[in-house]
Amino acid sequence: MSAFQLALKNISGNAFRNGVVSLCALLLSAFALFTTLVIRGAESSLRLTIDRLGADIVVVPEGSEAKIESALLMGIPARFWMPQGHLSRIAAMPGVDVVSPQLYLATLTGADCCSVSDMFMIAYDPASDFTIQPWLEEELGNGLRVGEVVGGSYISATEGEQNIKVYGYLVTLKENLEPTGTGLDQTMFLTFDTAYDIAGKSAFQAESPLVIPPDSISAALIKVTPGSDPHEVAVQIMQNVPGVTPIESSNLFQSYRKQMTGLLKSILVILSVTWGLSVVLIGLVFSMAANERRKELGVLRALGATRRFVFQSLLAEASLLAFFGGITGLAVASLAIFLFRNLIMVSLEIPFLLPSPLALSIQIGAGLLLALFSVNLAALFPAFKISRQDPAVAMRE
Amino acid sequence: MITLDEVTKTYPLGKGSVVTAVNGVSLEIDQGEFVLIVGRSGSGKTTLLNLAAGLTQPTSGKVLIDGTNLWGLTDQQQSFLRSQRIGFVFQFPSLLPTLTVLENVILPTVFSSKQEAVQVHDRATQLLQKVGLIDKLAAYPRQLSAGQQQRVVIARSLMNQPLMLLADEPTSNLDEKTELEIMELFRDLHAGMGITIVMVTHMRQLVAFGTRAVEMANGQVVNGHAK
Repeated sequence: MSAFQLALKNISGNAFRNGVVSLCALLLSAFALFTTLVIRGAESSLRLTIDRLGADIVVVPEGSEAKIESALLMGIPARFWMPQGHLSRIAAMPGVDVVSPQLYLATLTGADCCSVSDMFMIAYDPASDFTIQPWLEEELGNGLRVGEVVGGSYISATEGEQNIKVYGYLVTLKENLEPTGTGLDQTMFLTFDTAYDIAGKSAFQAESPLVIPPDSISAALIKVTPGSDPHEVAVQIMQNVPGVTPIESSNLFQSYRKQMTGLLKSILVILSVTWGLSVVLIGLVFSMAANERRKELGVLRALGATRRFVFQSLLAEASLLAFFGGITGLAVASLAIFLFRNLIMVSLEIPFLLPSPLALSIQIGAGLLLALFSVNLAALFPAFKISRQDPAVAMRE
Repeated sequence: MITLDEVTKTYPLGKGSVVTAVNGVSLEIDQGEFVLIVGRSGSGKTTLLNLAAGLTQPTSGKVLIDGTNLWGLTDQQQSFLRSQRIGFVFQFPSLLPTLTVLENVILPTVFSSKQEAVQVHDRATQLLQKVGLIDKLAAYPRQLSAGQQQRVVIARSLMNQPLMLLADEPTSNLDEKTELEIMELFRDLHAGMGITIVMVTHMRQLVAFGTRAVEMANGQVVNGHAK
């Protein structure tokens, strides 16, 4: 029988201690994993969205910065317009490599003519687009024809096998994009031609027409020339094109990043307090339990157990309890994340992308290590103290 | 075998005062003796036994086992010596409640030199046979009577084939009939296996079981003649 086997036998002997220590380990690991998954999931979402946009600068009408962030991150439909003429002025600026316009549209709310309600739609110009078009050419071998769309990962056909009805117009869903955990997953992508075709026919087919103001665009996506500083280009645009706001991709989603930083700070404070209290509580409970077992530990010493054996045996008990509590906590947190992902996104107002199995395994491992470290740290002093005690004193009434 | 040389043990009481549990005791116990240490409650008998076993460090004086100064050894050496040479029987229920009878008996082998698992199991069952509890191998301590528990403790104390048994009031919690049975078991072990036994008791009538009685009062040996 080793110290570990003895510890395994012993942990069945004290339900109160086992309950408290395991519960603390459970809470610590669950809280740590949950918050790590949420924060990292949100970070991944933001990064992936910026990568998918592929633009160095996004130019929107002045005052629309928050709207575009909400649309791209949370899928909240946004409609704002600026003159199409801005495109040529932007394209002429030094450092600008490509400019591509986009139209931001939305389906009708609760209308019979639409099989989906309040869905964000992005129309792009295939001639200049550098975000959707290259991917489409790679996936489909060509671009979209009039009446064809691609959808975010959540978009599915509702009318027949491949069709979705918007403004009384049946569009064909050609492909779905990989999930990003953001509003892009609930967004439909279509060409300018399709958008204008829907708008033209919607006057007759829909309860309310799709209105695209003439010679207007919603945003301009810019790629700068290699070696150019996006910041300098953005400053140039700000100075020379009135009524617009250029947002550098590194500054995109600033409000969400601030919100996340605030959330992260709050979580860190709560986690630190929870951790500190748990360590103190586990330490106290372990001290009580070790004191209750003083005689038993004294007997072990009399039978030939070294101080080291007693110390290791107590820490092995702590590790076992931390392991069982930790594993349960991690399972609970993982399950909660998978089951309540949408609820978390809505209530915290942040995007969220589930991690890869490898990343999840690493985070689960880290959560388990935290539980093991915390419980062992708490048990360290009581275990050391009791193992150094004179056996005769330990066995005294 | 065991030599206590001018051994004193004091315990702090707080505010700088101390209580002297054992005061300058010198005592020799030879191999094959069955020594009973008798005295009133608080006379220092249990402390003397603990000092002899190395379970507590003397405030002054020396404890020698076969000529080796016990407190000149490291914790590991001291623990190994205890596991190899000394068996303990305590006054209080000292079985581990989460282990079965068989596991409790095997427990001392965990701290001694490596032994074959089969050998260990056979010896444990032989000892339980000897103390009349072969049918209780899988039972837990709570399922046994006080007398049965003390028999298991005796079996456990013999597991590593020690040269001496130290027993602290082993019958004080037992009824008269069980007390007699346990004392006869000790006498058999002494006579049959030649084990040195040092037993602490406050019951003078048990002196008849031993080969020598050592009487203590106020932390000192007041009468330690050979029988």
